[in-house]
Amino acid sequence: MAGTLRRALVIVMAGAVLGLAANALSPRRIPFLTPPKAPPQSSDTVALDEAKALWGGGTAFFLDARATADYRAGHIAGALSLPIEEFDDHYPQIQPMLSLDSTNVVYCDGMDCDLSHRLMDRLRQLGYHNVRLLVNGWTTWHSAGLMTHTGDQP
Amino acid sequence: MRIVNLILRLIIGGVFIASAVIKIGNVQVSHGHGIQFSPVPDLTQFAQDVANYHVPPRALNNLVAITLPWIELLAGGLLVLGIWKRASAVVITALMVVFLAAIGWALAHGYDIRCGCFGTVDARRVGITALAEDFVLLAIAAWLAWCREDSTERTTETNQ
Repeated sequence: MAGTLRRALVIVMAGAVLGLAANALSPRRIPFLTPPKAPPQSSDTVALDEAKALWGGGTAFFLDARATADYRAGHIAGALSLPIEEFDDHYPQIQPMLSLDSTNVVYCDGMDCDLSHRLMDRLRQLGYHNVRLLVNGWTTWHSAGLMTHTGDQP
Repeated sequence: MRIVNLILRLIIGGVFIASAVIKIGNVQVSHGHGIQFSPVPDLTQFAQDVANYHVPPRALNNLVAITLPWIELLAGGLLVLGIWKRASAVVITALMVVFLAAIGWALAHGYDIRCGCFGTVDARRVGITALAEDFVLLAIAAWLAWCREDSTERTTETNQ
């Protein structure tokens, strides 16, 4: 039994060493320890009042980073569905409506939700330089009694 | 009985090898493009899947994502090859207990997150299906770790 456990430990250690070696050799290696989450820059986020003004102005695009089912169940009126987890499938349909210079407000739901952060990063990589994030977007918007829609249409 | 154990070993070893290769090879399924196998592993997504469980301390999520697939590959490979059968079954049993605890934790907290069970190819959310699947795998692994019939290792140990 002791022998089995010792061997089991060897397997775990060897696997860990292999993994670390493979990561160290990979051109897309990730840091050994997860870097602490950078606090969102104030220019990255948009407060509810400002988001409301942008929404009323009609020049900004609101992009919903959540899954399609969540979008269908309720979203900010006029927001386009761009689920980050199916980005490649949805982006081609959304792209013609956006422009690189337009203001894009991304949101998901919940203080811990990282979908909108990922959508923001992705859009910035594609050259959209004016992307802002409405933290805890759906709940904030919805509980402020602002206009929402359900279904597939924006 | 030996044949049953052999089949069980092949099943569970195969599942672990598959899940490891998908994570390491960053296999993607995209609509219209079929299955794509990236020669350059990218662990970012898997690390994110691990982080979503909020189980390991934040700093350790990357370490888990870096090492876990290779431990799975090694243990699954050895089990299929019939080398260190009991030891690799013990490793897999321990991993299954950890996976079950993580899934239970996510369900108990109502996290709506990707399972990540089979890397990025697996967009399933954490749920009862994943829980049930893992229970079956745990049962098989635990059986292989404890059963006497297939344990040539144990007989050699006691004979010595």
